[in-house]
Amino acid sequence: MILPTEINVLDISAAILLVATFGLIVRRGFSNWVHAYRYQTIVLAGIVALIALITDIWELYIVSALTFGIKAIVIPKILFYVTKKLDSPIKLETNPYISMKLSVIVSALLVAMSYFIFLQLNIESNEIIQVFLPVSFSLFFIGLFVIISRRKALNQMVGLLTIENGLFLFAVSLTHGFSLIIEIGLMADILLGVIISSILLFRMSKTFDSIDIKNLESLRDD
Amino acid sequence: MLESLYLVYAIFGFFSLGAISSLFTRGKKQHVYFAYIPAAIGSFLAIVLSLIVFTSEDIHITLGYQQIFDFEIFIDGVASFFILIIGLVSFAVSIYSLSYSKKFDDKKNNSNLGMLFNLFIISMMLVITSNNVFFFLIFWELMSLTSFFLVIYEHENENNLKSGLTYLVMTHLGTAFILTSFLFMYAQSGSFSFDSFRDIGIIPDYVRDIAFILAFIGFGTKAGIVPLHIWLPKAYASAPSNVSALMSAASLNIAIYGIVRYLFDFNSIDDSSHYLWWGLAIIVIGSISALVGVLYALVERDIKRILAYSSIENVGIIFIGLGLSVVFASFNLTSLSVLAFVASMFHTLNHAIFKGLLFMTAGSIHYSTHTKNIEDLGGLIKKMPWTGLMFLIGTIAIIGLPPLNGFISEWLTLQSLLSVFQIPSTILQVSIAFASLVLALTMGLAAATFVRLFGISFLSKSRTLKAADAIEVPRFMLAGKAILASSCIVLGILHFIGINLIVTAFNLPYTPLSPFEPLSIIGEDGKSFASLMMPTVLIILFSVFVSIFVLVKIMGGKTSIKKYNTWDCGFGSLSERTQYTATSLAEPLSRIFAIFYKPKNEIIRYFYSEQNQYLKKSINVKFSTRNIFEEFYDLLISISLSVLNKIRKIQTGKVNVYILYIVIALLSLLLAAGSGIIG
Amino acid sequence: MDELSFTGIIFGISQVLLLVSLSPLIVGIMRKTKAKSQKRIGSPIIQPYFDIIKLLRKDEVISEQSSWIFRCTPWINFVTAVSVAFFIPVSLIYSPFGVVGDILLVVGLFGLGKFFTILAGLDVASSFGGLGSSREIMFSALVEPALFITIFVIAIFYGGTNISTIVSSANEISFLAAPGVLFALIAFFIILMAETGKLPFDNQSTHLELTMIHEATILEYSGKSLALIEWSQAIKQIILLTLFVNIFIPWGIADSFSWSQIGFGVLLVIVKIISLGILIAFIEIRIAKWRLFRVVDLIAISIASSMIGVIFFFI
Repeated sequence: MILPTEINVLDISAAILLVATFGLIVRRGFSNWVHAYRYQTIVLAGIVALIALITDIWELYIVSALTFGIKAIVIPKILFYVTKKLDSPIKLETNPYISMKLSVIVSALLVAMSYFIFLQLNIESNEIIQVFLPVSFSLFFIGLFVIISRRKALNQMVGLLTIENGLFLFAVSLTHGFSLIIEIGLMADILLGVIISSILLFRMSKTFDSIDIKNLESLRDD
Repeated sequence: MLESLYLVYAIFGFFSLGAISSLFTRGKKQHVYFAYIPAAIGSFLAIVLSLIVFTSEDIHITLGYQQIFDFEIFIDGVASFFILIIGLVSFAVSIYSLSYSKKFDDKKNNSNLGMLFNLFIISMMLVITSNNVFFFLIFWELMSLTSFFLVIYEHENENNLKSGLTYLVMTHLGTAFILTSFLFMYAQSGSFSFDSFRDIGIIPDYVRDIAFILAFIGFGTKAGIVPLHIWLPKAYASAPSNVSALMSAASLNIAIYGIVRYLFDFNSIDDSSHYLWWGLAIIVIGSISALVGVLYALVERDIKRILAYSSIENVGIIFIGLGLSVVFASFNLTSLSVLAFVASMFHTLNHAIFKGLLFMTAGSIHYSTHTKNIEDLGGLIKKMPWTGLMFLIGTIAIIGLPPLNGFISEWLTLQSLLSVFQIPSTILQVSIAFASLVLALTMGLAAATFVRLFGISFLSKSRTLKAADAIEVPRFMLAGKAILASSCIVLGILHFIGINLIVTAFNLPYTPLSPFEPLSIIGEDGKSFASLMMPTVLIILFSVFVSIFVLVKIMGGKTSIKKYNTWDCGFGSLSERTQYTATSLAEPLSRIFAIFYKPKNEIIRYFYSEQNQYLKKSINVKFSTRNIFEEFYDLLISISLSVLNKIRKIQTGKVNVYILYIVIALLSLLLAAGSGIIG
Repeated sequence: MDELSFTGIIFGISQVLLLVSLSPLIVGIMRKTKAKSQKRIGSPIIQPYFDIIKLLRKDEVISEQSSWIFRCTPWINFVTAVSVAFFIPVSLIYSPFGVVGDILLVVGLFGLGKFFTILAGLDVASSFGGLGSSREIMFSALVEPALFITIFVIAIFYGGTNISTIVSSANEISFLAAPGVLFALIAFFIILMAETGKLPFDNQSTHLELTMIHEATILEYSGKSLALIEWSQAIKQIILLTLFVNIFIPWGIADSFSWSQIGFGVLLVIVKIISLGILIAFIEIRIAKWRLFRVVDLIAISIASSMIGVIFFFI
């Protein structure tokens, strides 16, 4: 068995990112999800900085700082505000479509699947791609899975943001970032998206007295 | 070689003697001795025979006149290993039966049991020794039929007849698959002899695949792999307990024998990746069988059905080992392949021993309490101390706890799973690693099952009068169990015996262990990956016990022990109805695995008056679980029945219509022949 | 390393004695930590020793319904727990008895103890015992896969199931170089909490039938037997803590047989165990007992974590 003897920063950061992402699945409370998202984004910003350090692209530092500023501070702020203002008395996911224990196992399988997909891809690889690309797939799939398996609209938002984080990591690790102006545009986009969906969440909460997405079924024209 | 031949004749002679003499002593009280003593001698000789074959050479004799009907006896290491298992188990069971079959003394045809018993054992041995398709199938059929008659021995009970019929249908289904598989092989080799199958040379891969799949399904039916296991719990539960012991501990191994012959004898598994998927298929089927078997064992309430489901589970574990061995072999990892194979065969041997023991104990319980439902039992350990002790030994062995034999084989199986990282394929590594979760879960659930079985039936207060009036069983029954119980202990502590036995029997490339050597696995880098030395473990356990005992005596001084009621929270005496029941014990787990059981909890309240719903007269709680596999088969049966009902309309009963059918058939045949489709 | 020399045996036995004698201390420290952080004074740290000695001298009352299984369970528990201590490296990277048994044997021996505890719970014919046994059965059946796959991760990363091999490779290659072990750490920590009956799995300081698991199975024990059970529980806890410490944070452990290194190693390992114990006590204070069927989620987390550990090794 050959094991690297030096400290393996890349792998460890990937591992921490995965652990942070799992916080999204194993917790039930609304604020817990936002916390989980925040930790995940902080780790992500760190990873971007790490990639910047390795590749020596100075723009990535700015991207990292932007990620930290917008996604780890501003967006969680908005989401916390939303959670606080919601009038639903129980701020918990009580009865998800897929039980907690099963969804944890399924997420682990999704992580395995993303690694398999990565193995099938045969991308000419450097170390950064090798470590972070499968993790970005995992983030993507876990985000999708969260959207599918949970009932509460807030969770759908966090799931969407996780998917976005996955795509972001995908882009950064594969191409070392788009040009700075595009990144800024993207961030603004996300911010706007979060704000709009928060407003929708309020409306939904007002209309249905709950943010259970089951209620959206009643909007269907029968 | 000649002496061994006489030994073969002697074995055959003793069993025939047992079969015939039990018929002639019909109705007499002594018939048991005439039936089972020859069987015991025959089984003992079989053990001797297999030991002789291990140490000397294979036996290969042809008796016969024409080529196709030659009866070839071929006993090599593989065969003698399985003969050893069957011999050991049937020796113990024969002694056990000396007393057990007295249970049927008041039956008219009590001697039939002895006759069929002897025939059953000898047919099993003959299946293993025969070396061509023809005789293999004849004896296979004889084995199936005798066991069928044994299953329906207590045919006064409607259920037993039903389960016998299920067994008959399923076992013939299996036979059909085996036959087809042999025909495929015959088509390639041109001879019905197994020798020709062995050096069949190069045949197309797809033929090999088809023949293997058919044989796997056929033998798998006999072994009870999921989803072909449906007959097994029924048949084992219906048969008299000595027969269930034989079926589970001996005849199940014949199926494993068949698969081993097919895998490693007819096909030489080598490093061609072609065999990889065979191994994977075996692992998958094995894992499913193990998990499903143990899950249904967990909620079952009939002792013998619990044991039957646990047989399915153990077959699954054996298959996981076999499959791993094939997978390793297909990557040319010979030493790992040997490890997995030894694990699998060791588990086969162990399973035979402890399952035989447990079935005999279940029979003892039935013998003295006349019930098989564990909800009616309880407190038996005080009434039947020896049986209880042996059941405990069997339990510890089957759930794989040290220091008994089950631990060794499960240790080996887990070690071979752990070595999976040497396979040079990432996807396989990860998938097999995940599959090991199933095995670990199975082991955990098996422990739960047997804790429940032992705890509910032997411990606490007797739940009914049946259990309260139980008495210890006669000496012969205890002796039979003691043989297997002591084998459990010996094989567990002196594990080198079992391993060396398997290594010599299968002629594996591995130097036999010396008694003072640890059982060790060396990793790729030459470091010790794992090692185990059970005798030393036992010494440690014992010396710790002695020192603790002394320490407690010194520190604690003299204290007395007082017997008093169990703590009842001051509410008055506890009754046997306040104890936990078997159902409630397994209820949390059945809720977690609800997908398999679909548990239903019905609460029915009765009121003194319907208007006032506060005063309750009584509350009934009904907790039920379902078996999704039986429901699947019920569905299958009802579909085929409705289809067959439609076909029945062809049978009008009018003669002229039948003639019409004949004419149509004739005409179509003629047309087919004329157009050249046939001939 | 594979030889059973005389010094080795003496050293091994003294390590076992160290673990056995320190085990009540850890219990005391954890209780004290909890008491302090709840603004209570709490009993002295060495109270568990007094308890054990007192109980050993007391007469026993046993249930009429019970059989010899009930009587021998404390002994089996104690003997298996102490025997396991022989295979655990404490201050040295290998244990002199390491060749005798591996981590699967450790699991098996603990399993034997638990098996008899569950049976003893059923033996006394009270509904409390059955209740405890039923829950204990559920947990141990579900923890089994988590435990095995965690062992799987550790074994493939560190090249063996021999605990000596594991600890010596863990000492060579810290888990910072092998991040997959991080996941095994999470999984093992959850299993540690489950096996030692900590919150949120079990609350050993109450006797409330809604929550108790382990306590319910041993409810009928008194006197000498209770002392043995409590002590063996403490030994099991210290063994699991030692395993955790030596597998995941082995820094400073002696890597050759020299007295100065071993002395330092012993001190360090005691400090590490105590700090881990205090950490666990703090965690216990922060969380409440979970609903029985929600605890399964935690076991699922442990399984999932180890599954990702497996992936990290292979890719």
